[in-house]
Amino acid sequence: MPSDLALQRQIEEQFMCYCGCANLTVRACSCGTADQIRADIARRLEAGESASQVVAAYVEQHGEKIRSAPTTEGFSLLAWTMPFILLFVAGAVLVLLIRRWKTAGLRPLAAGAGSGGAAGLASVPGGSTAPPSEADRRILERVRREIDEAH
Amino acid sequence: MAEFGTLCLFVALAASGWAIVASYNGWRAGSGELVLSAERAAYAVCGLVVLAVGALEYCIFTNQFDLEYVASYSNRALPVPYKVAALWAGQAGSILFWLLILVGYAATIIALNRRRNRPLMPLVVLTLSVVSSFFLILVNFMARPFVRLAFTPVDGNGMNPQLQNPFMSIHPPCLYLGYVGLTIPFAFALAALVTGRLNDTWFRTTRRWTIFAWFFLGTGILLGGWWAYVELGWGGYWAWDPVENASLIPWLTCTAFLHSVMIEERKKMLRVWNLALVILSFLLAILGTFITRSGVISSVHSFTKSEIGPVFAVFLGLATTVSLGLLFYRLPDLKSEHRLDSFVSRESSFLFNNLLLVGAAFAVLWGTIFPILSEAVRGVKITVGAPFFNEVMVPIALGLITLAGICPVIAWRRASPRRLVEKILGPVMTMVGTVAALLIFGIRDIYAIIAFALSAFVIATTLMEFWWGARSRQKVTGQKFGAALVSLFDRNKRRYGGFVVHLGFILIMIGVTGSTAFRQEATATLQRGESFSVGRYTMKFEDHYNRDTPNHEFAGARVAVYNDQERVGELIPGHNFYKAGQDPSTEVAIHYTLRDDLYLILTGSDVQTGQYTFKAYLNPLINWIWIGGAILILGSWFAMLPDLRERKRTVEARLAAVEAHAV
Repeated sequence: MPSDLALQRQIEEQFMCYCGCANLTVRACSCGTADQIRADIARRLEAGESASQVVAAYVEQHGEKIRSAPTTEGFSLLAWTMPFILLFVAGAVLVLLIRRWKTAGLRPLAAGAGSGGAAGLASVPGGSTAPPSEADRRILERVRREIDEAH
Repeated sequence: MAEFGTLCLFVALAASGWAIVASYNGWRAGSGELVLSAERAAYAVCGLVVLAVGALEYCIFTNQFDLEYVASYSNRALPVPYKVAALWAGQAGSILFWLLILVGYAATIIALNRRRNRPLMPLVVLTLSVVSSFFLILVNFMARPFVRLAFTPVDGNGMNPQLQNPFMSIHPPCLYLGYVGLTIPFAFALAALVTGRLNDTWFRTTRRWTIFAWFFLGTGILLGGWWAYVELGWGGYWAWDPVENASLIPWLTCTAFLHSVMIEERKKMLRVWNLALVILSFLLAILGTFITRSGVISSVHSFTKSEIGPVFAVFLGLATTVSLGLLFYRLPDLKSEHRLDSFVSRESSFLFNNLLLVGAAFAVLWGTIFPILSEAVRGVKITVGAPFFNEVMVPIALGLITLAGICPVIAWRRASPRRLVEKILGPVMTMVGTVAALLIFGIRDIYAIIAFALSAFVIATTLMEFWWGARSRQKVTGQKFGAALVSLFDRNKRRYGGFVVHLGFILIMIGVTGSTAFRQEATATLQRGESFSVGRYTMKFEDHYNRDTPNHEFAGARVAVYNDQERVGELIPGHNFYKAGQDPSTEVAIHYTLRDDLYLILTGSDVQTGQYTFKAYLNPLINWIWIGGAILILGSWFAMLPDLRERKRTVEARLAAVEAHAV
């Protein structure tokens, strides 16, 4: 019995209620139309129809728009995959960018970069505009280490 | 009065047109007088729109039903707060209301920048005037609020009953303040692009106004969810309805901006990206309005659809072309040296946060417009409903939660591995402990376990962050722990306000997880005296219940609620039957507790047989969404407070710059 109920719920979730009162699935909607659809699904299941038969019958009768989510075939598959394809591609680009920016960050500050010199020393107001000497770099390295340890 | 309103709007359009001409020419000619004239015209537009809104409210309050708008959205019995709210209950009124907020913002911005940002102001005024003129054209020619009927009805239709809820007075204004507020950063971004003055000032102004708009947008979204929950009667709060999505998308891009702007502040990187986010947020807000108002996508909010769709589409296209065109034009000037010290740094964690937030925004947008694409490509109408969004958004949301946990423990620039392990050990153990506890309590839902475990992790890292911070302040100042904590928050409002926002967000996620994964429901048809149960509650149908008010008649049932034999309360679900003749509305009854809500709906009643049909939902942890929302709001307020330290830093940086020049 509980598995029947689970199946019933699963089918209800796959349909959009066409009552027009809200954009809800048949499972969520609490209007009279949804009640009727739920009763009809239960009747069909009791009559021995399989879940896919019930779904097919509804799609046949009301068109594809009764499905609450796109199918995973053909063009509709794009609905599901596109966000993740994009995330993956953008993520890969981001990783490459960070690697490049990191290499740039490891280089000593560009000589005579003017205001650009602030890039490496952003938090120091009016950061040095002259190229840092070897001693400066050693001090910088020490500061960095001590910040890491003390923070 | 109606003629007066019409006249105000017409003169306002003329004044707004003058503001465009004067600000443009003033900028070209470098004429301060013309610019001043444009600013005064913008003040005048604000005054005139206020008068027009006053005129419409006057007509609503004096029941002038010969006006189409008043007859359609108000009636004599409508309670006072809803008469005020009738302004935004219909198409023409809501566009007028939108306009009111826009010109109000414009006047405020101009007043605040009398002495600041002067080189940018002509173009800011220009942009704001163009946007106001667009909305003025709409209210003057397409969605006119002061149209007269050929006859005078005795009474009006009254407001849509679903809108007659206290939330009606606050949800739309909040949302509009958010949507419209995005115009300000957009105007500054455009001005900065046109003038090429892309220094610190523009983004400081932009950041402040983006937080402001973001705050109202978020508050509006939360209130909308709460409203849907108490009013719509399906036991949920978010249906992934196109209009809900339309408000979430710009909120997500704004959230991304508020994080990435911190990198620009520290490293002068990502300027193009930040400008793009500001522009995108505005365009998405207009797209959202377009979706709400045009009815291109069917939605629960489409009670206000009309023929203004094409005009909106043109405006949107124009705004997109101009702003993206400017961005490309300025690309060479925006080159900045991108440097990162380490892969494991706060900076790179923010970059991934941006990836996920913008990815989430894209996913929601993609799902929302996919039906249109599908119809265009295949010619088949399809629906993209809640099941799609739930499935796609869960992994992204889990990723965001993870980042919110890891981010605070990673230091800026580079994180030392030893320090990282030290900081992360406690939270990881909390997470493991949570998983163990959930398994012991018999919870097997894998998504719920992951979500709760990650939430525990974030809460732990955030609280640890407070603890570490307060402790190190203690060491410096010798204060007591509490005092140290207070001064820690006080000295860096944006940072700690932000952490509080994270805590609020996590509580919302916990509420969302609990109420989706562990929801229970039951339906029963009962005679008086019979009962049914859901979860730990038993409900006994005691009696019918009727109530009469001037506005509506309520017919429902009195239901006693028992928790393990103990009577814990009484619920009265039912329906309102409105005297103005609209469809009856379902009035749900909710028994609120921190552990779960009992949500009771009367779905049907047969007076002859005395049989009443009830539907009950048990929504675990749902109130944590609203509590988390309140914390999020408090945190954002705190982060928006003026920060003395930041002001000091700014002044010091300026001084240093001046000194550097002097040397």
